[in-house]
Amino acid sequence: MAIEMNNVAPPMPACWRKETKTHKFCPGCGHGIVLKALGEAVDELGIQEKVIFSVDIGCCLLAIDFFNMDTVQTHHGRTNAVASGVKRATPDKICIAYMGDGGGYAIGSQHLLNAAARNEKITSILVNNTNYGMTGGQMAPTTLPGQKTETSPYGRSVEQQGSPTHGPEMLAAMLPEGAYVARGTVANPKQLKKYLKKALQAQINGTGFSFVEALSTCPTNWSTNAAKTWDFLENQMAVEFPVGEYKVPQEGGNE
Amino acid sequence: MDRIVEAYIGEYASGKSENAVNRAVALKKAGHDVTLVDLDLVEPVYTLRPLKAMLTDMGINVIAWTTEETLGLGEAGSVLHPAMRWALRNKGDVILDIGYGARGSSILNLLEGVEDEKNFRVILVVNTLRPMTDTVEKIVEYHNESGPAHGLIANTHMGDDTELSQIIQGYEIVKKVSQKLEIPVDALAVDERFADAFPNGTWDHGVPVRVLKRFLPMGFW
Amino acid sequence: MATKPIEKDTHAFVTGNEVVAWAALAADAQIMYGYPITPQNEIMHYWTRLAPKYDRKFLQTEDELSAGFTTCGGVLTGTRSFTATAGPGTILMQEPITMAEMMRIPIVVVVQQRGGPSTATVIYSQQEARMCCYGGNGEGFRVVYSSSSHQDLYDFTIKAFNTAWKYRFPTIVLGDGYQAKMREAVTMYDPASRGISMVETEQFLGAPGLPGTDREPHFHKNTYNTEEELLEVVNKLKEDYDAVRAEIEEHECEYIDDAEIVIVGHGVVSRAVKEAVKLLRKEGYKAGYFRPITLRPFPGTALRKAVEGKKDIVVVESALGQLKQFMTEELYGCTVPITGYFKPGKGVSSAEIVEKVKSMTK
Repeated sequence: MAIEMNNVAPPMPACWRKETKTHKFCPGCGHGIVLKALGEAVDELGIQEKVIFSVDIGCCLLAIDFFNMDTVQTHHGRTNAVASGVKRATPDKICIAYMGDGGGYAIGSQHLLNAAARNEKITSILVNNTNYGMTGGQMAPTTLPGQKTETSPYGRSVEQQGSPTHGPEMLAAMLPEGAYVARGTVANPKQLKKYLKKALQAQINGTGFSFVEALSTCPTNWSTNAAKTWDFLENQMAVEFPVGEYKVPQEGGNE
Repeated sequence: MDRIVEAYIGEYASGKSENAVNRAVALKKAGHDVTLVDLDLVEPVYTLRPLKAMLTDMGINVIAWTTEETLGLGEAGSVLHPAMRWALRNKGDVILDIGYGARGSSILNLLEGVEDEKNFRVILVVNTLRPMTDTVEKIVEYHNESGPAHGLIANTHMGDDTELSQIIQGYEIVKKVSQKLEIPVDALAVDERFADAFPNGTWDHGVPVRVLKRFLPMGFW
Repeated sequence: MATKPIEKDTHAFVTGNEVVAWAALAADAQIMYGYPITPQNEIMHYWTRLAPKYDRKFLQTEDELSAGFTTCGGVLTGTRSFTATAGPGTILMQEPITMAEMMRIPIVVVVQQRGGPSTATVIYSQQEARMCCYGGNGEGFRVVYSSSSHQDLYDFTIKAFNTAWKYRFPTIVLGDGYQAKMREAVTMYDPASRGISMVETEQFLGAPGLPGTDREPHFHKNTYNTEEELLEVVNKLKEDYDAVRAEIEEHECEYIDDAEIVIVGHGVVSRAVKEAVKLLRKEGYKAGYFRPITLRPFPGTALRKAVEGKKDIVVVESALGQLKQFMTEELYGCTVPITGYFKPGKGVSSAEIVEKVKSMTK
């Protein structure tokens, strides 16, 4: 039986910008799933008009015109700073900083940690794909032990290069009650959306800083087919980086 | 006679250091043993350091950093000289120049023996041409945040552009502060250029006029 | 709560950093972002003391990168915002300034120069002139006012906000540690009382309306797919900059007409130059005085006019020829010899300049 294509077109979140779809990410990239979860969270909370979206340098930059939401590209690592500046000047806006693991955990780690230390009322979303995707697949703070990248060609040596950075664990340890910290995965978009929604809710309620790390996929730089991509995400990354909520405002209740 | 122990506090650039230095010099000339202490912790060593040699030659015991003693004068280096902590153990009069800052006179807690010093006077130096202390209300607020003080010095001036009328207007404001806070005006301080305007050495029924020689421009780097 | 920080003219005795804080308040700046560094600290000290009284805000950031980028964030929302820094902080500030240049974000940065590269030598210096003018990885599309007095600090801080928002180039007020700490009289005024109206700010992000429905969303980026695209943007920037540079350029000169020797200095050094020229004139020397007020754009046309046909040019700096480099470029082809009197990181007195000129004319 013939199927009319328009009947199976996946529904787009209302805040997505249709003119810029299909999106610019590589096939199999996890960014699209994160941004869909984010779009649905924004829709459900009804905050599209209030969002100021800021994107870091790296693959996340490709989200510059992803939404019908005012967006600013910053410099590499500086997104939490720009979002903090926006929020301080206009506290009624919902400020979302979107970055990769290099931007958040390496070149901009001081901004992430200090935005958290100040308990900035912003939502920081960090996409962890274990490498620098846009610059050609170099080692990132999140590269797994033994994982080969362009700058760890024999595999990441814990002895030489240290262990992967665990952002949510670190931030949860330093943040006060009222903040929200979680690690989701593109393998579970429903859960990821729930986490993003709770993170945004913490900002809306003004209870504290909110942070969601999203485990994501990079088949291009991992050189993996669909099955191996999924295997790496589910059976290797999720082992090193446990998915779940790390800090939840008390009135929100734990998972 | 009991010894004189005075701490000069006040808004940044109110004339604390100039008044403290002049007070130390005057006491020295009157035959007292005098120790002068630079207790500026926010901006250490900007003030008395350049004058230390000159004042030492006058016979004043100056406790302030010297260039050779520190690393990174100007912004870095140790801030509190050990001798400052024990400054009150010196014999004779002790004049303390307290820097400005949000901590106000709580800096005095750093002095060993301060609570046992029965003649200790904290003196608030006020230049009413400084924007943060240009009204009675602002000065009272400043005092309540950084004091309490035992006395006031009216030190209104505009540097080289000072006019006598400004000095008098400033005094009038400080007098009102004095009435409000119920603490005396210890002195009216004027630049030596205006000494002739106060031939009795007093003003307003007996408030002493302190004629200031400007030492700090000599030491301003 | 007072609405206007300065309502009527206030003749006051102040320090340079304090003047900047008052000027920013008078200019209706709403928020300062900053990181502590000597000798600009009292700008933050006074701002944080005064800001709550006038409903203004302050954010102390983790470093100058953050101070600059948070300032960019603030400005993007249409909020008149500024930061202040010095020395190594000015280096870190270059990155956000370049973002501001390329995205036309009208940030205002106050720089109180300090000697170096070093720690602790925080008083005399004009060593950050080049960095403030051209310190980014680009062409330096920014405006730099070099201040010489407290009145300048007041006037140019106010003006910097208007220059930035009118032309949309990041604008720097360049002072130094000496001016920062020096005490002198100044007249502070409400800009409106001088006929100065503050240029309206623009909401680059977060304007009213649902993006995509009521209006197009605003996407701000300095990402270009091709070199050609970048070239076009940079050329357009240059075109915009060149179109307004004559309006922005400022200088000051005296005793030029019959002068045989023109002495040039900027910032606080220009005060010593001016004084020296007066002293030399008293002794019969035909000396003239020229001070570039904007270092970027540099008042090259005015300088060329001032030195044409003269015998000598002397340039005096608390730096090793940074101003001279700007001048040499502007005066290309001019045959009047330029002699430097350079004391990097040190102050210069009028007596030294007089001495220098006399030794040249012997």
